[in-house]
Amino acid sequence: MYPKDVEKLLLKVQKPGRYVGGEINSVIKNKEEVRVRFAFCFPDTYEIGMSHLGLKILYGAMNQVPDFWCERVFAPWVDMEELMIENEIPLYALESGDPVKDFDIIGFTLQYELSYSNILNMLKLAGVPVKSCDRHDLFNLVVAGGPCACNPEPLADFVDLFFLGDGEEVDLEVMRLYQRCKEQGIKKQEFLHLASQIEGVYVPSLYEVSYREDGTIRSYTPKDGAPATVKKRIMMDLDQTYYPDYMVVPNIDIVHDRISEEVLRGCIRGCRFCQAGFLYRPFREKSIETIDAQCKALCESTGYDEISLASLSTSDYSRLNELIDKLHCWTVEKKVSLSLPSLRVDGFSPELMDRINSVRKSGLTFAPEAGSQRMRDVINKNVTEEELLHTVAVAFRAGWTKIKLYFMIGLPTETMEDIDAILKLGQKVVDAFYQEKDRPGGKGVEVTLSAAAFVPKPFTPFQWFGQDSMETLRKKQHALKDHIPSKRMTVNYHDAKTSYLEAVFARGDRRLGDVLELALERGIHFDGWESCFDFEKWMSLFEELGIDPDFYCARHREFSEVLPWDHLDYGIKKEFLERECRRAFEGKTTPNCREKCSGCGAACYGGGLCVEKRADLV
Amino acid sequence: MAEGFVLKNARIWFKKKDAAKYISHLDLSRCMGRVLRICRIPVWYTEGFNPRVYMTFAMPLSLGISGERECMDIRLTEEFPFQEIQSRMNGHLPLGMQVLEVSEPICKFDQIQWAQYHYEWKAEDGSLLLHQLQELFSREAVIVSKHTKKGEKDFDIKPYFSPGSFDLQSSGLLAGVVTLPCSVSGSVNPGLLQDALKSCCGMEVLADVCRQKLLTKDFAEIR
Repeated sequence: MYPKDVEKLLLKVQKPGRYVGGEINSVIKNKEEVRVRFAFCFPDTYEIGMSHLGLKILYGAMNQVPDFWCERVFAPWVDMEELMIENEIPLYALESGDPVKDFDIIGFTLQYELSYSNILNMLKLAGVPVKSCDRHDLFNLVVAGGPCACNPEPLADFVDLFFLGDGEEVDLEVMRLYQRCKEQGIKKQEFLHLASQIEGVYVPSLYEVSYREDGTIRSYTPKDGAPATVKKRIMMDLDQTYYPDYMVVPNIDIVHDRISEEVLRGCIRGCRFCQAGFLYRPFREKSIETIDAQCKALCESTGYDEISLASLSTSDYSRLNELIDKLHCWTVEKKVSLSLPSLRVDGFSPELMDRINSVRKSGLTFAPEAGSQRMRDVINKNVTEEELLHTVAVAFRAGWTKIKLYFMIGLPTETMEDIDAILKLGQKVVDAFYQEKDRPGGKGVEVTLSAAAFVPKPFTPFQWFGQDSMETLRKKQHALKDHIPSKRMTVNYHDAKTSYLEAVFARGDRRLGDVLELALERGIHFDGWESCFDFEKWMSLFEELGIDPDFYCARHREFSEVLPWDHLDYGIKKEFLERECRRAFEGKTTPNCREKCSGCGAACYGGGLCVEKRADLV
Repeated sequence: MAEGFVLKNARIWFKKKDAAKYISHLDLSRCMGRVLRICRIPVWYTEGFNPRVYMTFAMPLSLGISGERECMDIRLTEEFPFQEIQSRMNGHLPLGMQVLEVSEPICKFDQIQWAQYHYEWKAEDGSLLLHQLQELFSREAVIVSKHTKKGEKDFDIKPYFSPGSFDLQSSGLLAGVVTLPCSVSGSVNPGLLQDALKSCCGMEVLADVCRQKLLTKDFAEIR
């Protein structure tokens, strides 16, 4: 439901369906019977937020508890935002239509650094003080979780507590604690102290940070008995972990409008640029029986006719063919199609594609990530050119004519030869098409090369690496764009400016809080959207505050430096990351977790692939 | 499909109001397809490369306009009680939607020529608004810009609307009923009247507009 006053605004904005709620399966409770109200805020538009699996899982988990009520809140698009401010309508939740400022807990999911400005903006639109220290009572508690919580320091002034790791249990534990403290009249400070004792909860205000003269961090000192390092929470047995048997079905078209069934968590690969590949270790699979039962339940409750088998790398599911066979037992008859979100070069086969019937013959996407074998060894993307060319040849024979290849530029040790190798690889894919006797007739091949600028992230072996300057990145982009060798090839890239800002916040510290606060004051928001992103405005903020953004993104850090996230423990040992970093610079690859354990530290959780028998151990 | 069963058409009559009036026509069709699947109604699927639930809607309803009694047709692949379709669907529709009845189709959708709309203007001073409408329609023509497939086009709405359709209610609000062309060969969007007030008189007035009935050329309600 939406507040009455909103009615007059709705026909003046794009896609009013974003702002009205009332979707199938949205959860309505009697607020008189509810004891903790949680506003799940997604700091982007409805269409993006409603496509997010984490929201669906946690929405279900919280609403399963009779006296908790979790509602959804999305960032209003700029047209609606303007009208809401003009008409003094505060940000509201879609289920009850109640203002966010009436909620006990206001939770944000941190998916992307460029959404930070939206988080502050949403608090402002809600009429809630943005800084934690200005919210004195145990009410309007602002919490956050998600991948970017692994370095939450830029948001430390605004968020009362962060959830590290899997949220299914820890979120509920904190809500229960909140309820108890609220009912017993316990003060916010005491609540935060108690919460900091729960595994997976990080309360930034309980840590004192001191800096060295050169601006690097000297130390983090815990106060009030807060733990020296905060361990992430983990759901070890996915078969026993809560998974929703329903999902809110949007009334308007969204980005991923289908069932997402998570088939595994973690990744065996260890690509050195990939933060998710380390954050979500250890690798854990759901059983075929669980996946099958969950898919059935979701189809019955949502009416969707498409299921995406979601994970970081679904072709690494150990019994994928068996799983698809099992699902086909009923999906074919019910006209439900299956799709895979990402494919590895070495995970593709026409047989698999035939069975994943939703994939259209027009386009296939692979991510070799780098053009030269040397570069791929540096990033530990264990895919060879031979494998790629073999895979595309198979795809051409099977009727595909459009291939999209994802690359990164600005990787550690990269030279202009490596950039040139991207084009050469693209050309080899074009050639592979014309060398293929059984290629499809008609229009010919289209190869799209998409080059993203590399952003070094915490908890990866490249967390010490200074990002390429924008000038270097642009030079590399031009080297690509100006030397496209074939009419059959197109090159896409994003402006290096967004990657620069992303890199600043990804490895930023608490001092960036001032920048975010000033950004709010200056009306900066929706930085992830090209139409809103204003780089020059951002740079002027840094200048005004005397903060050098290059300190965070462009500076090479020493292994000995205290990093802003060193007191957070994701199970990955810093020594392992250092070892991996050294191997990268030596051009040495590391086998995947299924081939051989590399001793990253995730085995400390005592589960998943870490404790399974591997080929080398048999 | 049950053996020997001839596909049977069913006409679903439904209401689409409140939050549901912001569901576009394309989204409505997606939504209804999913609802029919949730309710396990034995519907017929189109036989293409991408089979879809077969559905035909009488007339698209513009975004923001409510529908009191809209309809759509489906085909059943086996004998299935109409009452059961209604009761199942009513447990699984978005807020603001309700199935009113399921019946055997009598008219064809191409027989629809007119639609009857109810307006309720949300202006505080209804008499001032009425006066404004009278002034507007005393002009020689009331030209609005109409959004068509070929871009913006000037369109005179004077032949279709009359201030005489509206009366002041005891609440002080202005309300009334207007019948407009509504057919496969062309329709007049009820929202154009508000557009005219805005563009010709600079008045931005919110109105609840609701399509009450779909009518044949003889102004009989379709069945």
